[in-house]
Amino acid sequence: MDNEALNRMTMALMGASPTDEAQMGLLDTQPVIQILPDANVIKIGGQSFIDRGRAAVFPLIEEIVENLPRHKMIIGTGAGTRARHAYSVGLDLGMPTGVLSVLGFFVSIQNAKIIHYLLAKHGIPSVEPAQFAQLPLYLAERQAVVSVGMPPYAYWQPNPEIGRIPPHRTDAGCYLISEVLGTRSMIYVKDEEGLYTADPKKDRNAKFIPKITVDELERLDLADVVLEHTVFQLMRNAKNRRSIQVINGLKRGNLTRALDGEHVGTIITA
Amino acid sequence: MSSFAPPSPTAETPVDGRHHVESMLMRESLLDKRVMSATETPVVPMLPFCRVLKVGGRSIVDRGKSATYPLVDAIVAALANFKLVIATGGGIRSRHVTSIGMDLGLPTGVLAQLRIIDALGNAHLPGTLLAQHGVVAIPPEILGHMLPFFIKAAPAVICNGDPPFSIWEHPPRVGRIPPHRTDAGSFLLAECYGCANHTLIKDVDGLYEADPKTDPKAAFIKDITVTELKARKLPTLPFDRVLADLLACARQVKQFQIINGLKPHLLVPALRGEHVGTIVRKDAAD
Repeated sequence: MDNEALNRMTMALMGASPTDEAQMGLLDTQPVIQILPDANVIKIGGQSFIDRGRAAVFPLIEEIVENLPRHKMIIGTGAGTRARHAYSVGLDLGMPTGVLSVLGFFVSIQNAKIIHYLLAKHGIPSVEPAQFAQLPLYLAERQAVVSVGMPPYAYWQPNPEIGRIPPHRTDAGCYLISEVLGTRSMIYVKDEEGLYTADPKKDRNAKFIPKITVDELERLDLADVVLEHTVFQLMRNAKNRRSIQVINGLKRGNLTRALDGEHVGTIITA
Repeated sequence: MSSFAPPSPTAETPVDGRHHVESMLMRESLLDKRVMSATETPVVPMLPFCRVLKVGGRSIVDRGKSATYPLVDAIVAALANFKLVIATGGGIRSRHVTSIGMDLGLPTGVLAQLRIIDALGNAHLPGTLLAQHGVVAIPPEILGHMLPFFIKAAPAVICNGDPPFSIWEHPPRVGRIPPHRTDAGSFLLAECYGCANHTLIKDVDGLYEADPKTDPKAAFIKDITVTELKARKLPTLPFDRVLADLLACARQVKQFQIINGLKPHLLVPALRGEHVGTIVRKDAAD
């Protein structure tokens, strides 16, 4: 853009109210760049994966290592059962959502440290939010980096509509990393094939859904979904990441195939 | 608490291959609406004696001495009776860096990260003017859980109003401007800490049907609920649009007030809870 046009945009932003959505939309003329278009974001479930211990985690670590020569990976971690414990105690004590968010962050950090130590001999570092500026270097040098999955909203975590559990947890945190960095994929590694019409652990009649849009999902109004609801809301407004895949990481080869762009679980699009 | 060994198969603890810690939410999906309803319990207010102010960047600080000094004087007068958390906006520089960033194709999260820096700069301006009263700008990374400590040690603290969302900021529905700006961030802080009230200090008397700067005939709205506000679909608002959604989910701070900072005598009545600007309220419970 020439200087004059840039000045006009600055003046428009200065004069206009950023609450005027129509006007702000008109100012948004340039496409969003992809900051790390070669990277993939992989979220390893807390309750669904890391809490299973060695039986689930070691084969996945091996598969991640096998993929290092071919794929760049930002590996985020879920929080899992200890977060549920912390949330339960915190709720009983009357903690607000923001404090529960801090507790969930801590458990996600623990899981990131665990995954980091299992990958350490391959030179894979782990980053907390303050170190994200180093992430591109680490990816360029070592092909992968481990990150806390929880967004660092802390005391500023917005309340949910129902109840008190932080609505933006590790699914949303990893999703937003993939969206802002414009990565080539967002893969959720869980212990089920993907999305079902109900929790397959509790309902044997639950039906598998291989592919679905966010709108269709909303219409189904399922009581229980495989990912945080906020991810679907964010996907609707996304500039870069309009599709995600949920895969069963307990099946060897699924991660590799998902990294290669194959459809092995549930693909959700907006 | 269960050990790392798999749980024994009883009726309550079927083996699912996951090593659980016993808790109310054990094995529950946090994505289940029924489970979530059970988590609606009373909240402990941490700082119910504090009041949160958001001082506008463009509307107050960028106007320089003429607007900022009288407001700072009013804040000093209030310090004797009130504990204040003063959040600042980024103002014109935030808008400039946003326009450059958008031209370069930077995403919302990066714009949010850049904007935090301007608001932090603006926090240091009243921080300097209030220094002799022991009121300083607190770096955001230590503000969160340290706030109760600082607020006991000083009559007020200053912080940048942005929430620490940074690159984790949500993409907005339209355009690319970060939706959670300094009005929203200071509100979230007030809500989490259960503060007595939240006041937005702007350069207009409150909410109007249209921008009073461009439409002098615009009607003033003294009092409005979230539902009424959304129904009216006003083209511009004197506060972050997302604030209506945040207020709808509030458990502790169930209203906020917009006052005119160019009329600094309104500050103390607003802190007392008097209605001197526009009050936006959460809808009454059904």
